[in-house]
Amino acid sequence: MNSKTQMLIPKIERGIVIDHVPAGMGPKVLDLIRSFPGMDSVVVTLALNCVSTKLGKKDLLKLDIPEFPPSLLDRISLVAPGVTIKRISNFVVDKKYKIEPPERIENLARCRNPNCVTNTEPSVPTAFVRLDKTSRSFRCEHCERVFLLDELAR
Amino acid sequence: MKRNLISMNDLTFDEIDKYLSLAQQVDSLPPEEKLALLKGRILAVLFYEPSTRTRLSFESAMYRLGGNVLGFSESFSTSVAKGESLADTVRTIEQYADVMVIRHPRDGAARLAADCTRIPVINAGDGTNQHPTQTLLDLLTIRKLFGHIDGLSIAFAGDLKYSRTVHSLIQALLKFKNVSFTLVSPESLRLPAYLKPPPPSSAFRETSDILDAIHSCDLVYMTRIQKERFADLVEFEKVKNSYCIDAAMLASAPDHLRVLHPLPRVNEIATSVDTTPHAAYFQQVGAGVAIRQAVLLDLLEVRT
Repeated sequence: MNSKTQMLIPKIERGIVIDHVPAGMGPKVLDLIRSFPGMDSVVVTLALNCVSTKLGKKDLLKLDIPEFPPSLLDRISLVAPGVTIKRISNFVVDKKYKIEPPERIENLARCRNPNCVTNTEPSVPTAFVRLDKTSRSFRCEHCERVFLLDELAR
Repeated sequence: MKRNLISMNDLTFDEIDKYLSLAQQVDSLPPEEKLALLKGRILAVLFYEPSTRTRLSFESAMYRLGGNVLGFSESFSTSVAKGESLADTVRTIEQYADVMVIRHPRDGAARLAADCTRIPVINAGDGTNQHPTQTLLDLLTIRKLFGHIDGLSIAFAGDLKYSRTVHSLIQALLKFKNVSFTLVSPESLRLPAYLKPPPPSSAFRETSDILDAIHSCDLVYMTRIQKERFADLVEFEKVKNSYCIDAAMLASAPDHLRVLHPLPRVNEIATSVDTTPHAAYFQQVGAGVAIRQAVLLDLLEVRT
C-alpha cells in the first residue's frame, strides 16, 4: 500500500483485514458481512480500487472485530476465493491466511438447475462437491449438474 | 449399511461388471429356484411419471423372484396430490416395504429419497439426470451382441440434452476402454458439456449427419425427442423430426451395425427396420427383467 492510500485508509491497532479482494467484489463481500448474524453493527471500512502489485487493482475491508467467524469465511470463499485474511494486533499482522474455495459447499448456495429437486421440494439442504483440487467447478450432489463457483455465488 | 442404486457416477467398473454377470447368472436359473429368492419381500414402486417397460419389468422381476409389489403409478391418486412432500411420502412408504424404486420428474429426486429412508432405493429415472437400470440393461445387451464393450464405436442420435438414458449410458461407457462416441443431434439438443470428459480427450465427435454415423459406427443408440421436456412447444416442433432412420437408410450399413433404442419410439425408427438384422431394441427390452432382478438381489443382499 503506498503512502497516499495509507492516508485514505489508516492502519488499525487491532481487528481483521480482508485483503486482495478482486476490484469490484468489495461491496459484495461487505453485503455478506452485514447480512451475517451479529455483524450488522460492526465498524467496517471499505476501500475500492486500491493499487495492488499482485492484482493491479484490489478492494480491501477492515473490520473492528477480534476474530472472523469461520462460517462467514465459507460464505466469502464463495464470492471471493483467494482473498487474504490478516489479523492485526498492536498495528502488526499476527496471523495471516488465504481463503481457498471449499471442497464441499453445504447450504450456502442454491442449485442453478431449476429442475433440481432442491429447488422444488421444501427444506432440502444443498451440497456441492469440488470436482478436483485445482478446479473451480462443483457438482450438485442431487442433480449432478456441474457449475462454476461464480455461478453458485451469484 | 444399506446401499442404493442412484447414479452410474456412483458405480465402479467392477460393480458394473458384477451386475452384468449376476443378471446372466440369475437369467440361467430355473424359474422355481428363482421363486424362492425374495419370498416374503416387498418392493414399493413410486412412479411419479408414466412408464411401461421400467415399472412392469421391475414388477415382473420381483414377482418372478417370489416377492410382492405395492405402490402407485399415478401420483394424483395419492397424498402427493394433497401437497405431500417427497420426503414424507418416502418416510411413509418405507414402513410398508423392504426396497423402493422411484421415478420422478425432478433431477436428484432419487438421491433425496435415498437420503430420507433406511431401505434401499433404486432410481428408475430422475428428470433429465440418470436412469441406471436402463444403462445396465443397455450394457448387458451390447455385451451380448458384440461379446465385448471395450473398443466399440457408438453413435448417440436424437435428444442428447434431456435424455437421461443417454446421460447415464455415456457416463458408464466412459469407464470402459477405448469406447469412441459419435453424437448426432440438432444444435439445440446437444449433449451438455459437463457430461463430456475434459480436453484433450478425443473420444467425442459431433455430427449432424445420421448416415455418417450409420456407416462408421458399430452401434447407433437412437432416442426419442421428448415432447414432455420442452417448456416451449414451438421449439419442440422445430426439432421433432430431426433424425429418423428406415430400412432403406440401413441398406448400405455394415452387416455388424446394430440399432438400440430405450423405447418408447415415436417415428425415429421406422417399423421397416424391425425386420432387418440391425434391429436390436426388442432384444434390449428383454434384458430388463434379469438386470432388475440382479439389482434387487444385490441391494437386498440375497445370494443366488
